[in-house]
Amino acid sequence: MERTDEELIRAYASGEPDAVGLLFARHKGSIFNFALRLIGNRADAEDVTSDIFLQLFNRRYQPIPQVKFTTWLFAVARNACLSRIRSRNMLGSFWFKRDGEDGFEEQEVVDPAENQGEALRSKEKAKMVKRAVLDLPHPQKEALILREYFSKDYAEIAVILGCSLDNVKVLIFRGRERLRISLAAWMKEETL
Amino acid sequence: MNEHDKLLISAYVDGALSPEDAVRAKQLLAGNPACRAYYDDIRKLSISLSVVKDEQLSPDAEIQIIQRLHKETTYMKPKTWKTAATVCVILIITALALQTYAKRGIQGRLKQATNDIGDQYSAKPKSDGRLRDRNVKRPDNTGSTLQYDAYYTNTSVLTDKSSTRRASGYVDATVYSSGLMRDTRVIGTDVNNDSWGGESPAVTQKAKHEINDQYAMASAANYKGFLNKSPIPDQYQYNIPSNTEEYPFFNENEFLTTDQNPLSTFSTDVDTASYSNLRRYLTQNQVPPQDAVRLEEMINYFSYNYPNPKNGEPFSITTDLAVCPWAKKHLLLRIGLKGRVPDEEKLPASNLVFLIDVSGSMQDNNKLPLLKEGFKMMVRQLRPEDRVSIVVYAGYAGKVLDTTSGYDKEAILSAIDNLQAGGSTAGNEGIQLAYRTARESFIRGGNNRVILATDGDFNVGISDIGLLTNMIEEKRQEGVFLTILGVGNGNYKDDRLQSLADKGNGNYFYLDSIREAQKVLVHELGSTLFTIAKDVKIQVEFNPSQVKAYRLLGYEKRVMAKQDFNNDAKDAGEIGAGHTVTALYELVPPGVNDVPVSVDELKYSRTQPSFGEEVLTVKLRYKEPDGNVSKLITKPVGKGWLQMEPSGDFAWAAAVAEFGMLVKDSASRSKASFDHVLKATKSAKGDDRSGQRQEFIDMVETAQNLVPENSGQINFKGGNQDERWGY
Repeated sequence: MERTDEELIRAYASGEPDAVGLLFARHKGSIFNFALRLIGNRADAEDVTSDIFLQLFNRRYQPIPQVKFTTWLFAVARNACLSRIRSRNMLGSFWFKRDGEDGFEEQEVVDPAENQGEALRSKEKAKMVKRAVLDLPHPQKEALILREYFSKDYAEIAVILGCSLDNVKVLIFRGRERLRISLAAWMKEETL
Repeated sequence: MNEHDKLLISAYVDGALSPEDAVRAKQLLAGNPACRAYYDDIRKLSISLSVVKDEQLSPDAEIQIIQRLHKETTYMKPKTWKTAATVCVILIITALALQTYAKRGIQGRLKQATNDIGDQYSAKPKSDGRLRDRNVKRPDNTGSTLQYDAYYTNTSVLTDKSSTRRASGYVDATVYSSGLMRDTRVIGTDVNNDSWGGESPAVTQKAKHEINDQYAMASAANYKGFLNKSPIPDQYQYNIPSNTEEYPFFNENEFLTTDQNPLSTFSTDVDTASYSNLRRYLTQNQVPPQDAVRLEEMINYFSYNYPNPKNGEPFSITTDLAVCPWAKKHLLLRIGLKGRVPDEEKLPASNLVFLIDVSGSMQDNNKLPLLKEGFKMMVRQLRPEDRVSIVVYAGYAGKVLDTTSGYDKEAILSAIDNLQAGGSTAGNEGIQLAYRTARESFIRGGNNRVILATDGDFNVGISDIGLLTNMIEEKRQEGVFLTILGVGNGNYKDDRLQSLADKGNGNYFYLDSIREAQKVLVHELGSTLFTIAKDVKIQVEFNPSQVKAYRLLGYEKRVMAKQDFNNDAKDAGEIGAGHTVTALYELVPPGVNDVPVSVDELKYSRTQPSFGEEVLTVKLRYKEPDGNVSKLITKPVGKGWLQMEPSGDFAWAAAVAEFGMLVKDSASRSKASFDHVLKATKSAKGDDRSGQRQEFIDMVETAQNLVPENSGQINFKGGNQDERWGY
């Protein structure tokens, strides 16, 4: 039977180094994508992912009965992303390309044959949506990303963000209100 | 449906309500169609959001992480626990020391770098007067105030303007113009106000690592408490990302003393691109970059009611003097030219080469599709004796239509319809081919013209602007004129296009809408296409006994050396059929000492006041379109012409200039204000058949919400100007 995250971390603590690799394999995708959606550029997101996992397995983690491992992992990831964003901004920013332009969105030469295609349209749409989410105020962005892309329930989001349940409700609501404006054109075309 | 209901429904969609609230939400949904629509909206939003798919960690990064993990975990094996603890303690101490050091270090550096960027520690942008209020009321959302974060990619305008601007001064002009300078986004108040919060980028990699260790420990220590953490402060401040539009940098004209510089010389300019570009920005609720605001192009966007020229001269010259509306002690001088309107039958045949950029960057709706419509409207105006050829360029340049008579409109229109965008841009090759084509179908005595339509982003081939302009200057000698139609946003290269048009005996327009295309290519086609005079230069000589100092409004890129006025080899602006050109001067009468003037008065060569009543003389030189020798017109202006306040068209031009100075945050704007602009424009609107003036008034109202007004740098105390002038 597959071991749970908590069991793996205990196994690691009692001297089974390979457990680390298993945990990493299990959660690398979600943590990387969480960082990517928050920070908006690939290089920083990869860097932060690396930092997060290193912290976890430097024996800093003490299991706490009432909180799931993944919740804790997201909370750590969230803090790491926040410091990364802050450190970027501290440098006065103009040395760094803004989100996306280094690797997040690949520079591509458009093939004329492909121009009118549906493929291009949905690419364009994905770009706009990414942009709109990135431009949300940071707390709203965090809450909304956790909800929409990671399907976390409100209680867990409250734990990850360290705020009250009501606060989560408001953050998600405000974020949606903004996106409803910035993505109005795309939303119109969706069918339920 | 109120905010609370919406909130309730938003949480209901996610199944996050308590049983009682859920019942309430269900009632709302059952009873109120608006609520049901809102419920659907939220689900649609989820679908929209889902288009952004998860990405994969790149294999390289993954391998690196696994290697690091492996190294760390073997190093941190339980057996070595004691050693590890000792090492840890040492590391932490080092890290703490380094952190303090690094903090100090970075503060020192930031003092220079952030003077204009904002206080990084409080993370609030400096409350400079130019900082934009982001709580903008959107016209389409009357009543509710939104925090407005533009999501367009082209939003340089809303970045803290002063920081971008001034930074460009000391960063490096090339860094700025190549778009490397990015956002000054600031994440707000420190959320985790813990010891590791001040992690500093200046820390070395090693130290950083150590700080991370410390950070992780602290995280763990804090972990138990983090359920009870205080809520997130909800106020986060953002600045907005920059873009890659490029505008030529220029300094505003300053006041010059008449003693030192009695002559003011400039070339005429009939371009209007700056105005339509400004309009694009304002309709997107953005403030344009200062360098994109050129007063002369704004003033000349409007046509003014000057008398038609008489006695076979190509121009009439009109001059007015009035009290300057934004500095009551000063005077405002208007010089207006109007070009002759030739009879339609006498218009020379046109040989037009449309040179159209069809590169990938042109596929947006406001680029190629707009141009196609514009060209089609224009082609419908053509006469049988006119000829059109079409050259397109993308990765390569090619001719898609050989020279075709205006009689065969169908062929031209279908060629335009077939244009599609795709590929990279080799503008240079296209321009060469276009001039070659123009040469091949040259009409002697006709109007030979290349019409270049582009967003200006030449990214393949010789894109060196210098080489291109050299080539265009060469072609100018052969009698081919150039018209440039600029389109698009986000990547718009205003500086290149303006400079190309200058060099190519050309004019330059910015098309932001089908309406603008109609203005340039249909209503004003005559003046767009038919040049009635070229190398039109104006020189004004001021009488030092009547004018102490003067300032030319706009025309910064057109100012010429005084000796160039009589030098026919020097290129200057072209004037089209029926075109009007307006220039404004702000004059300081003698005895008024409110303007800082840079040079001391001359001790020895005092000009004796003569021609007491004459304030100034306007001299104008022009060449016939095919001539090489210039002709001179002079016109003295006396004091008797003084109006109290500008009226009619003059008031309109003054208001446009005043508006330009406000948007530009001009140092010389004195008491200019949006309220005054609105007042003046509303009374000077006149018979506004085209609706252009009303549109301007709307723009002023938009800008008033976006641009905070500062008092100008020059302060005025009251005083009666009339006395000084002996009235």
